[in-house]
Formats: sequence, C-alpha cells, structure tokens
Amino acid sequence: MAEISTIARPYAVAAYKLGREQKALGKWSEMLGFAAAVANDAQIKAYIQDPKVVSSDLQTTFLKVCGDQLNENGQNLVKVLVEYGRLSILPEISSAFEALKAQDEGTLDAEIIAAAKPSAAEVKDLVKRLEAKFGKKIEASVSVDPELIGGIKIIVGDTVIDASVKGQLQNLAYTLTA
Amino acid sequence: MQLSTSEISELIKSRLENFSTSAEARTQGTVISVTDGIVRIHGLSNVMAGEMIEFPGNTFGLALNLERDSVGAVVLGDYEHITEGDTCKCTGRILEVPVGPELVGRVVNALGQPIDGKGPVNAKLTDKIEKVAPGVIARKSVSQPVQTGLKSVDSMVPVGRGQRELIIGDRQTGKTAVAVDAIINQKGQNMTCIYVAIGQKASTIANVVRKLEENGAMAYTIVVAASASDSAALQFLAPYAGCTMGEYFRDRGEDALIVYDDLTKQAIAYRQISLLLRRPPGREAYPGDVFYIHSRLLERAARVNEEYVEKFTNGAVKGKTGSLTALPVIETAAGDVSAFVPTNVISITDGQIFLETDLFNAGIRPAINAGISVSRVGGAAQTKVIKKLGGGVRLALAQYRELAAFAQFASDLDEATRKQLDRGRMFTELMKQAQYAPLSVSNMAITLFAANKGYFDDVATNKVLAFEGKLHGFIASKYKALADAIESSKDLSSDNEKALDAAIQDFKATTAY
Repeated sequence: MAEISTIARPYAVAAYKLGREQKALGKWSEMLGFAAAVANDAQIKAYIQDPKVVSSDLQTTFLKVCGDQLNENGQNLVKVLVEYGRLSILPEISSAFEALKAQDEGTLDAEIIAAAKPSAAEVKDLVKRLEAKFGKKIEASVSVDPELIGGIKIIVGDTVIDASVKGQLQNLAYTLTA
Repeated sequence: MQLSTSEISELIKSRLENFSTSAEARTQGTVISVTDGIVRIHGLSNVMAGEMIEFPGNTFGLALNLERDSVGAVVLGDYEHITEGDTCKCTGRILEVPVGPELVGRVVNALGQPIDGKGPVNAKLTDKIEKVAPGVIARKSVSQPVQTGLKSVDSMVPVGRGQRELIIGDRQTGKTAVAVDAIINQKGQNMTCIYVAIGQKASTIANVVRKLEENGAMAYTIVVAASASDSAALQFLAPYAGCTMGEYFRDRGEDALIVYDDLTKQAIAYRQISLLLRRPPGREAYPGDVFYIHSRLLERAARVNEEYVEKFTNGAVKGKTGSLTALPVIETAAGDVSAFVPTNVISITDGQIFLETDLFNAGIRPAINAGISVSRVGGAAQTKVIKKLGGGVRLALAQYRELAAFAQFASDLDEATRKQLDRGRMFTELMKQAQYAPLSVSNMAITLFAANKGYFDDVATNKVLAFEGKLHGFIASKYKALADAIESSKDLSSDNEKALDAAIQDFKATTAY
C-alpha cells in the first residue's frame, strides 16, 4: 500500500495542480472518482492485468467504458497511465487527490462508529467538539456497529479516539495480563 | 513460579485501582508487510523515531525508519502472529526497562523481563534505554582502580572506575574468562556488576551464570541475556538495556561494572536489522551508523562528579562520585584487528586487552599480549602498591620478547643477556593465573615484590606458580597482620617492605616448594 501511494502521489499532485489552475477541482474529483470506480470493477481489473491485452486496446476500451464522464484532461490522464502501465493505481490516485483537496479546503473526514444510532443533535455536538479539537472543518460519516457494545469510536485520519466499551475492555484485559 | 494467591489478588487489586477508563486519542496504522521481524506500517503519521508501537497480541515494536508513506519497525520478540492488515498503535513512549537494586541477582532479557524462573522483578523504577551520555561538565577524571584480580591486567593494563577497556581476541582465547574473573573479584568492592550476553548460546550463558553463582558473584550481579535464538532486535537492544541498569547506580553515586559480551554480535544483529529495513550497506555490509551504535553506548560509561550526583538525586547523595566501568568484548577473525568493527571499538575505548591464540595454546593464560595491550587512563587509577611494584613487569616482558627473537639465532649468550632472558621467562610464567582464582591486592603485591627482589630467580620455571601459591599461603598463616596491613592501606610502607622481605626469606629458608 505504501509503495502504491508513493507511486500515486505525483499523479494526484499533478491532477490537483491542474484542477486548481483551471478552477475545476470539483470536476476533477468527479472524474477521478468515476475512473477509480471503473478501475476497481472486477472485470476491468482482470482486463487491466491481462498481459495479452495490448496497451492501445486497453486505452480505447477504458476510455469507451468511461464515456463522456471524462473531459479531455481526464482522458489524457488515462492515456498517460496506460502508457506507464499504472492504470491499476487509479483508486489510490483518487484518494490521494481527495486528501489534497480536503487539506486545501481545511476539512477532515471523520468516521464516527457508534454502538447504537446517535441522534442528529448528538452528532452535531460531536462534530462541533471535533472541529474545536482539530481546528478544521469536520465532515462526519456515521455508522453503527453493535460489536462495540457501548459508546463510540471516532477515526480522524490516523488518529483514533476510542471511547467504546469494547476498547475499554481490551485495555482492562491488557492491564491485567501485562 | 511460586506465587501465593494473596499476592496475585493484591496485584490484580492494585492494577484495577490504577485502571483509568478515560478515552484517549491514539494514532493508528495498518501493517502492510511482515518480513523477518521487520514490519512496514501505513499510517502512524505522528510516530516518533524510536517510539514503541503496539501490535495485537501484546507485542511491541520499535519504529526505526520513518519514511514518507510508511514506517519501518522492528518487532521485539515473536512476530509470527502479526499479519498484513493488522492495526497497530503509537504508544507515545520510548522503550524502557526496569532499573534498580531489585534486579541484582537476576537474569533478565533485553526488555528487563526475568528469565530465571525466580518470579517477577518488583522494580519500582523504569528508565529509557537510549539516553544521552553525561556531558563534559558532569564528568570527573578516572582516579580509582577496578581490581580485576588478574596479575597481568592489574599490573600492566590497569583499569580505573569509569574507564572503557576493550577485551579483544579471536574465538577461544579466554575473553569471557577475563571478564568473568573481573566480575568475581568485585566481591566486597562496592561494585554492582552487569553482564550483558549478546548472541551467545543459551548454554554458554547458563554456564557463566552458574559460575557466577558458585563464586558468590550473583549477589551483586545482574545478567542481561539476549541469546542467539532471540530476535536480532533484542540482541541489538540488550547492551543499551544493560547500560541503563548500570547508569542507575552511576547516577546515584555508586560504582558499577558492565561487561558487553560481545559487541561484534550486536553489530551483526544491527546489520541484519538495517539490511532488512533496506538501509544502504557500507563496508562489510554494515550500515553507515555502525560506529555510532558503539560510540553512543560506550560514551555512557563514565565517572561523574559529586555535583552531578547531588543534582541527580536532588541532594539525597552528597559528596560521592559515581562510575560505570565498561568492559566491551570484541571477537576478531584470525587476529585481524583491522576489520571494521574492531578498529571502531579500539578507537572508541580507553585501551584494550589483546588476547592471542598462540599465547593461549602455549599455555600462557590469560593469553594477554603485553606488547599491544594498553590502558590509556588506568595508570592514574592504579592501586599504589601495584603501581610501585608492577612497573618493571611490562619492561621485563618487552625486553624478553626482543631478546628471545634475537637469541634464537645466537648460540652462546653473554651473562647479562642470559639473565634477562631468564627473568623474562620467569615473568611470563608468573603472569599465568588459573581461572576463577582472582588475587587480592596484598597477594599480588607479595608476588610482584618477591619477583622484583629476585626471590624467584633461583626457582625453576615450572615451579614458579607453585612457589607463588605456597608463599601466599605461608604469609597468610604466619604473617597475617602484614598481609592485612598491605590489603587495607593498598600501599607498602618502608617498614612493611622490610617485614615482607624478612617474611619471604623466612619462607625460602623454611619451606619446600
């Protein structure tokens, strides 16, 4: 994963810079998201990895599948990726692009996992507190996982705030056996 | 392990009492690959170099490589249960080991966990394993001796408290024997010893521990063992862990002696880690910082002054200096001291004791080569009486070597040359010493005094050691007061000199040897 993200970074940075110059970051985000979804499709994946497929064929097929979702720049990106044999890293390019975009906009994605579905007011309060803690706008996505038993777990980037009963029990088990 | 139930429940109770249920924010990462104890991790954006990383299954790792997209960490211990996709957490801590007097008499691994089956180590304190050595201001020059109890070492290459004296030689030349004898001789010398075994066979370590126990040395010794079957990470860390345990005593105004047996194996373990972390290899495939791993370790062996100790203990210990003396061991291949690691460590230490295979096989044990063994700072710390009497030994041996080479070609020699050869032969014989039989200062002084005065000159070479043993026994039984006076004053007054002279004459006149 690390090596792939290293490879994906320059493509994402290039796309991001071009998008900013053209003031078309939204369009780029859409295009990359779509292309990544296409590249992630099982059939396409197998096709990309097939050594018998000639790169010119791959390019035509891929662009045809994407259809008019890609503008000229987007098509050029696909052509470059085909030329360098990097079409399979499109999902990573897309996520790296989104990270750059979020950084620029000063937003952070937060994943809130709760044992029971929190009310809208609770989520709003949480987001407010997280925004104060991280000093950035938080875009929260809420999911429910009964395995947590109780409480919540918040994942913001690499940082994990574990206030779940499951996490506390794990900590207790660790304290008793250490 | 023998533990009463009350102890266990007490332990659990205290742990439950101290258990806090607050939610904490921790940085997480995902394991990308596990290869030979090296783990690559994605994420962990806030990790620090040298920070401990927690893996599932109560396993810890050490972050060594911080790269743009990944972190390279080395797992401490077993890594088979860690798989790709596992999550791991930052702990925000640098690796620590337990320290304190509770460790004395114990055998622990590189993480300070007991491996001698004598129950848990109830150390009250822990300390970081990587610390910066005391600076110039905090130091004091070496002026007190470490008595190794070996005639050849104490008279020719004296070691002082706070010195770093390298023991170097090929395999099977008695390097460990010199170090272990030095530890055994520290009984009643106010010295805590630490024996760090790195990359040795577990059976060899067990033998050393048994010998230390038999000689009553475990009462003041800590053994830190990272055997050949332990992971390279533990072998690499063991010397730092041992050093931290020794620094505890140094910083509190006490004296400690640490033996690193041996640093060649540590360098090899570090080379393995570095190569697996894909750091560029240099000479002999060692990484670029192999000098630094030894220099930063040995720099921590030092003598610190009273102010440092007072400041460190917040005034609890006043007017005492502390010291950590290091005896690193280096194994050479076929006597090649110009290999990479031996030259490095020779240049770092304050002198070396050079052991040779040829001497060892010729029966000269300890097989110390007097010509190239030196102590750069120990002279200032040498016990007065040994300094006074032992000055001639090195010279006699040097002249002997020179003449012996020359005399091979000459058929008949003049009287003076022959005498010098005999004297050299006698001193060579006299420097031999059995293992686990360290000599007290007074006995060493008696031997050197008798040799200087020429009382050994009419003794057949093969009888020299027997003569010496009988002489020690004779004086201990008949002139105990004299021996005690030398032992306590560590000096030979002119009155005692006369008395000793008379005592030896008495011995020669009355005893058969």
